[in-house]
Amino acid sequence: MAAGGTKSWLGAPLLRPRVAFFELTSCGGCQLQVLNHEGTLLDFLSLVEVTDFREAMTERSHEYDIAFVEGCVSRSDEVARLRQIRRNARTLVALGSCACFGGVPRMKNRFPDPGLLAREIYGEYPMATETVRALDEIVPVDLKVHGCPFPKEELEKVVLHIALGKAIETPRHPICFECKANGNVCLFDLGELCLGPVTRGGCSAWCPGNRFGCWGCRGPADDANLDSLRAIAKEHGFSGEDLADRLECFGGFTPREAPEPSPRRKSRKRGTR
Amino acid sequence: MLFRVFDQGELPILFSALTARHEVIGPVEAGVDRHGKPFYAFEPATDFRALRLAYTTTKLPAKRYFLPCREDLATFRTSGSDWSKTVEYNVDRPRVFFGLHACDINALNKLDKVLTGGDYPMPWYAAKRRNMFIVGVDCEPQPSCFCRSMGADTALSGFDLFLTGIGDRYFAEILSNNAYNLLRGIRAVEPGEEEHVLYRRAVAEKTRKYTARVDTTDLTKILDMEFESPVWKSWGEKCLSCGSCAAVCPTCYCYGVEETVDIDLSVARKTKTLYSCNLVDFAQVAGGHNFRPESHSRLKYRYYHKHRGFVEAYEESLCTGCGRCGETCLAGINVPDVIASVRGEGGA
Amino acid sequence: MTRERTPDMEIPFVDVAGSPFRPPRRNDFAAFEYTYKAEVTRVHTLTAMETLYEIQLLDPEERRRFSFSPGQFVMLEVPGIGEAPFSISSSPLRRGAVELCIRKAGSLTTYLTKVPRGIRVGIRGPFGTAFPMERMHGENVLLIAGGLGLAPLRSAICYVQENRSRFQAVDIVYGAKEPSQLLFSYMYEAWRQDDIDLSIIVEKAGPLWKGPRGLITKRLKEILADRDHAECARNMYAIVCGPPVMFQYVCDQLNVYGIPMQKMFVSLERRMHCGMGKCCRCNVGSTYTCLKGPVFDYWTVLNLPEAI
Repeated sequence: MAAGGTKSWLGAPLLRPRVAFFELTSCGGCQLQVLNHEGTLLDFLSLVEVTDFREAMTERSHEYDIAFVEGCVSRSDEVARLRQIRRNARTLVALGSCACFGGVPRMKNRFPDPGLLAREIYGEYPMATETVRALDEIVPVDLKVHGCPFPKEELEKVVLHIALGKAIETPRHPICFECKANGNVCLFDLGELCLGPVTRGGCSAWCPGNRFGCWGCRGPADDANLDSLRAIAKEHGFSGEDLADRLECFGGFTPREAPEPSPRRKSRKRGTR
Repeated sequence: MLFRVFDQGELPILFSALTARHEVIGPVEAGVDRHGKPFYAFEPATDFRALRLAYTTTKLPAKRYFLPCREDLATFRTSGSDWSKTVEYNVDRPRVFFGLHACDINALNKLDKVLTGGDYPMPWYAAKRRNMFIVGVDCEPQPSCFCRSMGADTALSGFDLFLTGIGDRYFAEILSNNAYNLLRGIRAVEPGEEEHVLYRRAVAEKTRKYTARVDTTDLTKILDMEFESPVWKSWGEKCLSCGSCAAVCPTCYCYGVEETVDIDLSVARKTKTLYSCNLVDFAQVAGGHNFRPESHSRLKYRYYHKHRGFVEAYEESLCTGCGRCGETCLAGINVPDVIASVRGEGGA
Repeated sequence: MTRERTPDMEIPFVDVAGSPFRPPRRNDFAAFEYTYKAEVTRVHTLTAMETLYEIQLLDPEERRRFSFSPGQFVMLEVPGIGEAPFSISSSPLRRGAVELCIRKAGSLTTYLTKVPRGIRVGIRGPFGTAFPMERMHGENVLLIAGGLGLAPLRSAICYVQENRSRFQAVDIVYGAKEPSQLLFSYMYEAWRQDDIDLSIIVEKAGPLWKGPRGLITKRLKEILADRDHAECARNMYAIVCGPPVMFQYVCDQLNVYGIPMQKMFVSLERRMHCGMGKCCRCNVGSTYTCLKGPVFDYWTVLNLPEAI
């Protein structure tokens, strides 16, 4: 898919990794986001060699250096598939809120009887459904691209930095700072609830900038002060339930049930190409 | 200083004289808050009727016009392993600021000290600053205003023209030749004793209206003594580490620099982004060590920089008392309360 | 009351760009982002983590004018990749070139480990304060380094070597975690030949290590134990480079042996984005490390909250 000539920066040839995109339980929106931003799409694709991308092409392959995985794990066959992807890939990237935290589907974990939902929704049809988990509750994840969906610019940066051999840094502070930088007035001042003060920045305050309070799709910022936000929400007249609903929506603020596997990778497959 | 007096009806003429050839930034109404109160912003204005010269402090300062949140410091073009660097100061025309309050003019004066003084003047700021034409206006102290405590309630320099309302006339202070010429285009006269009295009365009346106050007596010493004070920890527990206070501060100038390559590899950029010392990684070095890992240590640093370090260097604080940080802070952290608690007056 | 002129107004544009000097003078606006174009002329692997880069300015005129003092730092820039401060490790006599001892730690330094000789980089500076070497002429000098602290100290060592007759007794005490982390090992013999007493101490070592084991403070104690305190107070200077935690113990100990804190110099490490006292990232308390430092006397450091 979209092979370009050899590219270089400051005389050094760029790495052109083989990448593959996969989906587990998800809406497919993050993969669609990969194909958005048409203005730079060809430049983006020329930095990588896409070997597998079900939503965009017919060819399939198990040969790839970087696996981008969208979606959470909600069935046993997905666990096996994810493990296989982890074995094949040198680098595993969790793409979007579902992959990073379990996303919207994680809300079903609040029902203690796992069979209840299956019966309610699927009735007679057999549907194996398990507790929803994020990728890093099953296998080690090297990098997370946050958001529902993530901003395309963020993925472009990831791919570009890999090609250049440059470290990838995720914003660590809450959204508020970039929201103010964009000239927005605080939504709390306008009488709306917003998770901006505790949610990881890097989205350029998409939602608050359009007068839609943040729902925390990017998960908690480092050092997120949830206790303080609870007090603030209460003071502004929002119920604990309003706040809890938001915090639960994308799974980023929900406590993990399974311990995270050690971040150190067990197998280092293949050297650099 | 030169003074003039003119009828308020002349002001639209003066405004039009400026808008005819220049971009004019002024206070306009930007919306209504949850209590039904209007709030204001500094925006480009072409119609005098859109201006709200009786505005209360804007939510955001005019900083974005002279210290933009993001600004390219340099661009690089490459050819093979070689490269060339181009530096632009990103300003090519003068800009008029019509209706700044004294606190915001003093903010510029404070920034001038650090950004245009010393061994390394900062060209991106200096170039914009030198091309500002500022018309200041007097104001009505709000409950959050403590500019008087910070000595920033009156502007003595840093503007071209400053207007104080005396009845149905303006009392104008003139600091530049450009402003002098501007006033020649309207019907203005030299003030007499009667206008002097009216001016003094207007200032005295304004001074009476301040309610918030910060005791700055011996503050640098007290801050030194109270470096380990438990009040910092209790403010730190409330702090969201979100950096909103710095984003709305007219004098916060700290920044970070990032180098990026455009995705088509045509050009690389060195971009400056205003940063806040409250953000978690402000003082983190390569390799991971963070000199201020806890929120209270970052919050404390912010106060030390503004109320101690800057005073030591320039004999005035880096705070104008505009009250924006306290107004914007969801956790209710504000300068008068924090300083009072450090002084042992009132709890955190 | 009449209008004296037509009410329109042309405010002239003030252009601040352009400087008649190249390289620009210090307080020219153009000096702020002025980059010396330079080339990496030598890459020398020192340890698994540290590499020594020799970097030479390309323009002959700029080479002639570029000079620095031991203890100062430069900003090293690779376009599109990043910029970071590094203390200079080489001799101040070498004009127009610097050696930087760089540990692989962040984005830029990781990138640098992969670059070939010949890559073109940018250098800004030199910035910051220097070790007051001239003040130490005629005196005894203690040069103390822990770990990567030898990087800034080596420039001072070069100065001492080149001006050996101007100093009395010179001691270097260098400590590292283990022998494999020792930097500049190829220089040790030359230092000793210049009548510099070099002691190396490591915290952990295998059976092959014949030298002393333990912390720098232990070795310092041995060196200073038989010296007269009053003598030390009068004619001894110390330069201490290393991790901040080391300053406290080492400087405290030196003070016990009589060396005044104003005669001990340390080099602080902080994050820096400008090097020119603007970005505030390097502030300690509210002191700019890039302007008032990185070299401070220890008395000043003791008076800076959160310095160590």
